[in-house]
Order: sequence, then C-alpha cells, then structure tokens
Amino acid sequence: MEDKQEPPKSQSPLVSEPADIKKFKSEDFPSQNEDEEPFYDFQAFVKLMKDPRADPIVRYTRSFLNNFLTKREFWTSEEQRKLVNDFKIFVFDKLPFYEPFKSADAANLLNAKEGMEKLIMGKLYHKCFSPCLKSQSNLIDKGHKTDLNQDAMLEEKREEFRFIDPEHLEINDKISSKLETFARLSAKELGRMNDYKAPRDKMVCALNACRVIFGFLKHLKLERDGADAFIPLLVYAILKSDVESLISNVNYIERFRYPDFLRGESSYYLSSLQGAANFVANMQMESLHVEDKQDFESKYHANQNALKKERYSRQPIDPHKNASIPREPYGPSPSDYILKPLDGATNIVLSKFAELFSPTSTSPEDYDGHQNLEGHNDITRLAQEMEEKEHARVLRELHDMFPDMDQELIGDVSIAKKYRIGACVDVLLTLSS
Amino acid sequence: MLQFKLVLLGDSSVGKSSIVHRFVKDSFDEFRESTIGAAFLSQTIKLEKHPDVTIKFEIWDTAGQERYKSLAPMYYRNANAALIVYDVTQPGSLVKAQSWVEELKNKVGDQDLVICLAGNKVDLCDEDATAREVEREDAQLYAKEQGLLFYEASAKTGAGVSAIFQEIGEKVYQKKGMEVPSSAQARKPLNVELQRPSTNDSTSCCS
Repeated sequence: MEDKQEPPKSQSPLVSEPADIKKFKSEDFPSQNEDEEPFYDFQAFVKLMKDPRADPIVRYTRSFLNNFLTKREFWTSEEQRKLVNDFKIFVFDKLPFYEPFKSADAANLLNAKEGMEKLIMGKLYHKCFSPCLKSQSNLIDKGHKTDLNQDAMLEEKREEFRFIDPEHLEINDKISSKLETFARLSAKELGRMNDYKAPRDKMVCALNACRVIFGFLKHLKLERDGADAFIPLLVYAILKSDVESLISNVNYIERFRYPDFLRGESSYYLSSLQGAANFVANMQMESLHVEDKQDFESKYHANQNALKKERYSRQPIDPHKNASIPREPYGPSPSDYILKPLDGATNIVLSKFAELFSPTSTSPEDYDGHQNLEGHNDITRLAQEMEEKEHARVLRELHDMFPDMDQELIGDVSIAKKYRIGACVDVLLTLSS
Repeated sequence: MLQFKLVLLGDSSVGKSSIVHRFVKDSFDEFRESTIGAAFLSQTIKLEKHPDVTIKFEIWDTAGQERYKSLAPMYYRNANAALIVYDVTQPGSLVKAQSWVEELKNKVGDQDLVICLAGNKVDLCDEDATAREVEREDAQLYAKEQGLLFYEASAKTGAGVSAIFQEIGEKVYQKKGMEVPSSAQARKPLNVELQRPSTNDSTSCCS
C-alpha cells in the first residue's frame, strides 16, 4: 500500500495506513465500565498479539515505534503527546477490523487498548519520561526541562520545610498520632510510581496513595469534609515523602494516558496531586498557617543551618563534581526505572515481548509463541518470585500500619483483596474501628 | 446521558461538602459511591423540565482554606458549572464567594460556565432569626447583577438543595445540551511536521 496523500487528521502520522478501510471513532466502542473492577491483564493482550492474524496490528505498532525512535533524536514533550495519542486513536480504530481483536468482546478490546498503551510506553519510556533525559539536559526541549526543574524545586522545598507541623497546613486537629504512619504509607505508594512505565500503572499508584489518605479520613470520621480534609493531608504526605520525580510522573501520566481513560475520578485525583505537588514546589512561609511567627522563623533558620551542614557533608569528595549541587548531578539512570507492571507476573514477560518491538527486530517470523521452552520456564519462575516478593511487601506494610491486628486476619484480607494495598487498607480500617 | 463537570467552591466552614452529600443522598437515583473518597462524587439526575434528559454530575470538591486557593485552577478548568457556597450566618464567607465569582469571570469567562451562588445554613436562621448575617435580598441582588443563579439552602434539612442542582442542570443543558464533552476532542490540535515512513522501509507496515 502506498501513501499517496497527506494523512487525515485522526491518522497517526507515524504509520502508513491502508486507505480503503472505513474509519470508526473509538467512541463507537464501549469504554471503561466504572461499576466493575476494570479487567486488566497484559498477558491476555500479549496472547492476542501473538496470534498470526494480528500481524497487521503488530506491524502498525512496530512501524510507529521504529519511526518514533529513529526519525528524530528529540521530540518535544508536546510533539510526543500528540504522536502517541494520535497513534493510539489510529490503532484503537484499527483493532476491530482484525482478528483476534475483531471477535474479542468489549472487555477484551478495552484490555487490548490498555495493553497497547502499556506496550508502546514501555518502549518509548526512555524518551518520554523526563528523568530519563536528565543526562541530555542541554539538548532537550522546554517541556521536559520544566519537569526536571519542578522536580528539583519540589525536592528543595521538601528539605526547606521538612520541620513543619500538621497545623501549619491547617490539618484538622482531631487528626491523631497515626498521621505520620498514614502519610508515610501514602508517600510510599506515590514513590512506587517510579517502578512502572505504563501511565495506567503509575496512575494506579497515585490513586492508591489517595485511597490510603481517605482510608485514614474514614477511620477518623472526617471523610465528609471532602477536599477540605483531603488536600492538606495530601500536601503533608508529599512534603514528608522522599518521592523522586513526582512532578515528572504526574505530567507523564497527563501526557500519555489515553484521554478517554483519564476521566472522572482518575482525572480528579491526578489534578489534586498536581495541585498539591505544585503547592509544595512553591511553598513559602506565607503559604502556611503560622501563629507564632518568631518561633516559626527560628525553626526555619535552625533547619537552614542544619541543611547547610548536611549538604556539605553529602558533597562528593570528587573535585570534578559540581559543588553547588548536593545530589547526584544526573540522578538515577534510566535503567533504575525498571519495568514492574502492577499485575506482578507479567513483568518479565513484557520485557521479553517488548524486545520484539525494538527497532532492530526484523520480521514477524522471528517470533512465535514457541520460543525455546526453557526460556519460558525461567520467565514463569521469575514472575512467580516477583509476585511472592510483592505480596510479602504488602503484608509487611499492612503489619506496620495495623500492629495490633491479628496477622492471620491481615493475611486473609490480603488474599481476598488480591494484595491491592488500597483495598486492604479500606477493609482493615473498617475492621479496626 | 450527558456528563457535566461541576466544581464546588467556598470557604472551608460553609458546609459545601455537606450540600453535595445531601444532594447525593436525597436523589432518588441509586447512590453511586465513589471508589476512593468523598472529594469526588458523581450523581445522576433527570431534569424536571425535560424528563427524557438524564444528566450525570461529576462533582469536584476544592479545599476551602485560603492557603489552598492556588490549587483551584486545577479544578475549575474545563468545568461546565461552578457552585459557590457561602454561609448566611457569616458575612465574610459571602465576600470570599464574591472573590471566586471574580476569579471565575476573569479566568474562565461565564460564556462557558454556569455559576450558581448558594447561601447555606438557613436552618440556623429558622431556629434563631438573629443568626442571619447576610440578607437574602442583598445576596440575590448581587447574583442578579452578576448573572448568577441564586439559592438559599440548608444541607442539614435538605431545603433548597435539589433545586440548586436541577437549576444548574437545566441551565447547563440549555448551554451545552447538544455537545457531549469529550476530553479527546478537547485536546488542542497541534501541527507537527512529520515525515511519513518511506515505503521501502523494511519495518514499515505496508511495504
């Protein structure tokens, strides 16, 4: 098929398209059903993609990825947003024309869209997630640079105001001693955003962080205060956290999560997180509730002095390193942001599968479902180990949060709730109050 | 079904969240519990004047404390309606409400946004007439001048609450009825010059 003319607007500019296929809008197909727990299974998507009949979809995808990665060294963040979104619109429109997607039911089709987003963002992550571009900061565009600067600002402010108390943020004074525990747990969930590449997986971490806060508010019967109670706690959790690249993560979700999937509740909590993170990044004494100004200032200066000393001692001995930057100049390398999908076991499978889509990979014949069997067993074993580790982590954190609760009970709840920490917290809070 | 975004603004002590809870609780449609928490709620209503029209409100609560004012633009962008609540027993809360009206008019423009001003806690005045600090007529006059919808209500007794949402729904429907908001369509088109893949590229899908 030749590409004879300029692509129509909704077509992804990075793939060529058979011209004779009638286009459907993605809205013609049912979108996420909010009543039910969304069905999300990357392996199911992989299975469909491995079907020989899915070949056109595989080719579209590979063509897009290849072009994205090779046509230009750097796209701006806005161009990336546009390119990725256009490709998704394009390929989502195509899915219903090709088996096995054609005969997939609505839930499976939706899952395929999720899988596709996860697949392409896994492959493009190192070009799209601003912290991965840190080492090339002289070459990158304003959008990515702004992400990095805001992350740095947020981290600086967190240190500058690390001494503040809940009252400075007008956190309801009924809030008890458990605040620190919950703030830490919420921050931990936020931090897990850095473990995932897919926008959806990052979003789930963000939602879990908010869920933990609401779990706490429910426990205190303050849930009804809505945002008046929630926002100060979210700000507090961010301030007391050591989450890296929070603003980059939030902006990445906003850019690369398919807009139809980023609606309603998700959109609300992402906006809240964005607002709260910006609030911390721009924090000044004036943004806080301060009754005793003198006392506050003396604490502020004491902290400044302590920080100076800490930064000095943190300074690397290596004279070649930039003395004005206390942290590692380039932060974690992209390889630190390893891929860990939420549905635990699929991690390794994904990375193996994603290799098929690297620009160097050649024809579809190179892969079929029957690669060497040993490799497959390794993958399964590794995936199981990872899942077990993840479960152990959830159990540990829940024990920390609910030390008085029967361990067996926590275990049962975790199994029932499939080790989803947010859901577990909800149940345990209900049981403990 | 039409889906509208409503942002909830007002001082922290005026009971804006309570108004929404009352609305959600009293609506005869099934109560749709949100999955995370009460800062975001959604509720479906049928318009009394157009019984065949169903509207789903997505209600975005904001933090009312003055220091979190800077977060508000994150919430009111792309909103179809704003409900600004004050407390009829606290004149200061009306002043705050008025500053929200100003901000919305400057930043959003009322072409696109239905704004409703609502005085809450009228039940306190029923118990004790001297409790009232903001006269209904004064607030109503201000709302009229500004072209806002206006109601007095009590989240506690439920008086006036459903009328607020009926009226907002009606007005938004008149304004926006025909176009269904879609975030995908709302994205600004961006013209990026892109090279198309060459057809002899071995990885191109249509070679």
